[in-house]
Amino acid sequence: MSGDAVQLWSFVTAGLLVVIGLYAIIFMDNMIKKIVGAMLIGDGANLILITEGFKPGSIVPIISEKLFNEGTNGLFQSFADQASNSLPYALVLTNIVIGASTLAVLLGIAIKLYQRYNSLSVNEIFKEESQ
Amino acid sequence: MIIEFVLMAVIIITTILALMQRDLMKMVVIIGIEGLGLAFLYQRLLAADVAITQAILGSALIPGLIIITVLKTRRMQE
Repeated sequence: MSGDAVQLWSFVTAGLLVVIGLYAIIFMDNMIKKIVGAMLIGDGANLILITEGFKPGSIVPIISEKLFNEGTNGLFQSFADQASNSLPYALVLTNIVIGASTLAVLLGIAIKLYQRYNSLSVNEIFKEESQ
Repeated sequence: MIIEFVLMAVIIITTILALMQRDLMKMVVIIGIEGLGLAFLYQRLLAADVAITQAILGSALIPGLIIITVLKTRRMQE
Protein backbone atom coordinates (compact mmCIF):
# COMPACT_ATOMS: atom_id res chain seq x y z
CA MET A 1 0.00 0.00 0.00
CA SER A 2 2.76 2.44 0.92
CA GLY A 3 4.72 1.52 -2.23
CA ASP A 4 1.67 2.39 -4.32
CA ALA A 5 1.57 5.84 -2.71
CA VAL A 6 5.26 6.35 -3.49
CA GLN A 7 4.67 5.42 -7.13
CA LEU A 8 1.64 7.74 -7.46
CA TRP A 9 3.37 10.77 -5.92
CA SER A 10 6.48 10.11 -7.96
CA PHE A 11 4.35 10.38 -11.10
CA VAL A 12 2.90 13.64 -9.75
CA THR A 13 6.42 14.98 -9.13
CA ALA A 14 7.47 14.12 -12.69
CA GLY A 15 4.40 15.88 -14.08
CA LEU A 16 5.12 18.98 -12.00
CA LEU A 17 8.71 19.03 -13.28
CA VAL A 18 7.49 18.96 -16.90
CA VAL A 19 4.95 21.74 -16.20
CA ILE A 20 7.55 23.97 -14.48
CA GLY A 21 9.98 23.43 -17.38
CA LEU A 22 7.34 24.40 -19.95
CA TYR A 23 6.51 27.53 -17.93
CA ALA A 24 10.21 28.48 -17.85
CA ILE A 25 10.60 27.96 -21.61
CA ILE A 26 7.51 29.99 -22.54
CA PHE A 27 7.43 32.88 -20.03
CA MET A 28 11.01 33.50 -18.84
CA ASP A 29 12.93 36.22 -20.63
CA ASN A 30 16.51 35.20 -19.85
CA MET A 31 18.04 32.67 -22.27
CA ILE A 32 19.92 30.62 -19.64
CA LYS A 33 16.69 30.14 -17.70
CA LYS A 34 15.02 28.85 -20.88
CA ILE A 35 17.84 26.32 -21.29
CA VAL A 36 17.46 25.23 -17.64
CA GLY A 37 13.74 24.75 -18.33
CA ALA A 38 14.58 22.40 -21.21
CA MET A 39 16.81 20.44 -18.80
CA LEU A 40 13.92 20.20 -16.30
CA ILE A 41 11.60 18.72 -18.96
CA GLY A 42 14.22 16.03 -19.64
CA ASP A 43 14.48 15.27 -15.91
CA GLY A 44 10.70 14.87 -15.70
CA ALA A 45 10.65 12.42 -18.63
CA ASN A 46 13.45 10.39 -17.02
CA LEU A 47 11.56 10.25 -13.71
CA ILE A 48 8.39 9.04 -15.50
CA LEU A 49 10.34 6.15 -17.10
CA ILE A 50 12.07 5.18 -13.83
CA THR A 51 8.78 5.15 -11.95
CA GLU A 52 7.24 3.03 -14.71
CA GLY A 53 9.85 0.30 -14.09
CA PHE A 54 9.53 0.46 -10.29
CA LYS A 55 7.37 -2.29 -8.76
CA PRO A 56 6.24 -1.71 -5.14
CA GLY A 57 7.80 -4.18 -2.72
CA SER A 58 10.26 -5.60 -5.26
CA ILE A 59 14.02 -6.21 -5.04
CA VAL A 60 16.97 -4.65 -6.87
CA PRO A 61 17.46 -6.34 -10.30
CA ILE A 62 21.04 -7.45 -9.62
CA ILE A 63 21.86 -11.17 -9.26
CA SER A 64 23.90 -11.84 -6.11
CA GLU A 65 26.42 -14.67 -5.78
CA LYS A 66 24.11 -16.72 -3.56
CA LEU A 67 21.29 -16.54 -6.11
CA PHE A 68 23.70 -17.45 -8.91
CA ASN A 69 25.00 -20.56 -7.14
CA GLU A 70 21.48 -21.84 -6.47
CA GLY A 71 20.30 -20.89 -9.93
CA THR A 72 19.47 -24.34 -11.23
CA ASN A 73 16.64 -25.02 -8.79
CA GLY A 74 14.18 -22.66 -10.40
CA LEU A 75 15.32 -19.69 -8.33
CA PHE A 76 15.89 -17.58 -11.43
CA GLN A 77 12.15 -17.83 -12.09
CA SER A 78 11.28 -16.47 -8.64
CA PHE A 79 13.95 -13.78 -9.08
CA ALA A 80 12.36 -12.70 -12.35
CA ASP A 81 8.98 -12.53 -10.61
CA GLN A 82 10.28 -10.46 -7.70
CA ALA A 83 12.70 -8.04 -9.37
CA SER A 84 11.63 -4.68 -10.76
CA ASN A 85 11.72 -4.11 -14.52
CA SER A 86 15.25 -3.13 -15.54
CA LEU A 87 14.64 -2.21 -19.21
CA PRO A 88 13.68 1.49 -18.57
CA TYR A 89 16.84 1.90 -16.47
CA ALA A 90 19.02 1.14 -19.51
CA LEU A 91 17.05 3.61 -21.63
CA VAL A 92 17.26 6.38 -19.01
CA LEU A 93 21.02 5.81 -18.58
CA THR A 94 21.46 6.70 -22.26
CA ASN A 95 19.03 9.61 -22.10
CA ILE A 96 20.83 11.33 -19.19
CA VAL A 97 24.14 11.44 -21.09
CA ILE A 98 22.48 12.63 -24.32
CA GLY A 99 20.63 15.33 -22.36
CA ALA A 100 23.89 16.63 -20.88
CA SER A 101 25.55 16.92 -24.30
CA THR A 102 22.47 18.64 -25.78
CA LEU A 103 22.62 21.13 -22.90
CA ALA A 104 26.29 21.84 -23.68
CA VAL A 105 25.45 22.62 -27.34
CA LEU A 106 22.58 24.93 -26.28
CA LEU A 107 24.89 26.81 -23.87
CA GLY A 108 27.45 27.26 -26.65
CA ILE A 109 24.79 28.78 -28.91
CA ALA A 110 23.81 31.12 -26.04
CA ILE A 111 27.43 32.33 -25.71
CA LYS A 112 27.61 33.01 -29.46
CA LEU A 113 24.33 34.97 -29.36
CA TYR A 114 25.62 37.04 -26.43
CA GLN A 115 28.83 37.89 -28.30
CA ARG A 116 26.83 39.06 -31.32
CA TYR A 117 23.95 40.99 -29.72
CA ASN A 118 25.56 41.84 -26.31
CA SER A 119 22.46 40.76 -24.41
CA LEU A 120 20.87 37.59 -23.04
CA SER A 121 17.27 38.86 -23.13
CA VAL A 122 15.17 37.34 -25.91
CA ASN A 123 13.06 40.49 -26.27
CA GLU A 124 16.19 42.64 -26.80
CA ILE A 125 17.50 40.24 -29.45
CA PHE A 126 14.21 40.25 -31.36
CA LYS A 127 14.02 44.07 -31.13
CA GLU A 128 17.55 44.44 -32.45
CA GLU A 129 16.94 41.91 -35.20
CA SER A 130 13.78 43.63 -36.50
CA GLN A 131 15.46 47.06 -36.90
CA MET B 1 8.65 5.91 2.87
CA ILE B 2 9.12 9.30 4.55
CA ILE B 3 12.43 9.73 2.72
CA GLU B 4 10.84 9.55 -0.73
CA PHE B 5 8.25 12.20 0.11
CA VAL B 6 10.88 14.52 1.58
CA LEU B 7 13.00 14.10 -1.56
CA MET B 8 10.05 14.88 -3.86
CA ALA B 9 9.27 18.03 -1.86
CA VAL B 10 12.94 19.08 -2.03
CA ILE B 11 12.99 18.61 -5.83
CA ILE B 12 9.86 20.70 -6.47
CA ILE B 13 10.76 23.50 -3.98
CA THR B 14 14.35 23.86 -5.26
CA THR B 15 13.14 23.96 -8.86
CA ILE B 16 10.71 26.80 -8.16
CA LEU B 17 13.29 28.66 -6.03
CA ALA B 18 15.93 28.38 -8.76
CA LEU B 19 13.69 29.96 -11.38
CA MET B 20 12.82 32.86 -9.04
CA GLN B 21 16.43 34.06 -8.54
CA ARG B 22 17.76 37.18 -10.26
CA ASP B 23 21.40 36.27 -9.63
CA LEU B 24 22.30 33.46 -12.04
CA MET B 25 25.09 32.11 -9.78
CA LYS B 26 22.55 31.40 -7.00
CA MET B 27 20.37 29.69 -9.61
CA VAL B 28 23.26 27.39 -10.57
CA VAL B 29 23.88 26.29 -6.96
CA ILE B 30 20.19 25.55 -6.37
CA ILE B 31 19.99 23.58 -9.65
CA GLY B 32 22.87 21.44 -8.35
CA ILE B 33 20.88 20.66 -5.18
CA GLU B 34 17.94 19.63 -7.38
CA GLY B 35 20.09 17.21 -9.38
CA LEU B 36 21.45 15.63 -6.20
CA GLY B 37 17.93 15.16 -4.79
CA LEU B 38 16.89 13.51 -8.06
CA ALA B 39 19.86 11.13 -7.75
CA PHE B 40 18.81 10.11 -4.23
CA LEU B 41 15.23 9.58 -5.44
CA TYR B 42 16.49 7.27 -8.22
CA GLN B 43 18.39 5.28 -5.59
CA ARG B 44 15.25 4.93 -3.48
CA LEU B 45 13.33 3.76 -6.61
CA LEU B 46 15.79 0.80 -6.97
CA ALA B 47 17.71 2.21 -9.98
CA ALA B 48 21.27 2.18 -8.64
CA ASP B 49 23.16 2.53 -11.95
CA VAL B 50 21.05 5.49 -13.06
CA ALA B 51 21.59 7.11 -9.65
CA ILE B 52 25.39 6.98 -10.05
CA THR B 53 25.27 8.68 -13.46
CA GLN B 54 22.74 11.29 -12.33
CA ALA B 55 24.80 12.11 -9.23
CA ILE B 56 27.90 12.87 -11.31
CA LEU B 57 26.21 14.67 -14.20
CA GLY B 58 23.38 16.46 -12.39
CA SER B 59 25.30 17.79 -9.41
CA ALA B 60 28.78 18.47 -10.82
CA LEU B 61 29.07 18.58 -14.61
CA ILE B 62 25.90 20.43 -15.66
CA PRO B 63 26.32 23.22 -13.01
CA GLY B 64 29.96 23.50 -14.13
CA LEU B 65 28.91 24.04 -17.73
CA ILE B 66 26.33 26.66 -16.71
CA ILE B 67 28.92 28.43 -14.50
CA ILE B 68 31.30 28.69 -17.49
CA THR B 69 28.47 30.18 -19.57
CA VAL B 70 27.56 32.70 -16.84
CA LEU B 71 31.21 33.76 -16.47
CA LYS B 72 31.49 34.33 -20.21
CA THR B 73 28.24 36.35 -20.38
CA ARG B 74 26.38 38.47 -17.83
CA ARG B 75 25.80 37.53 -14.20
CA MET B 76 22.77 39.61 -13.28
CA GLN B 77 19.52 39.20 -15.17
CA GLU B 78 18.56 42.47 -16.85
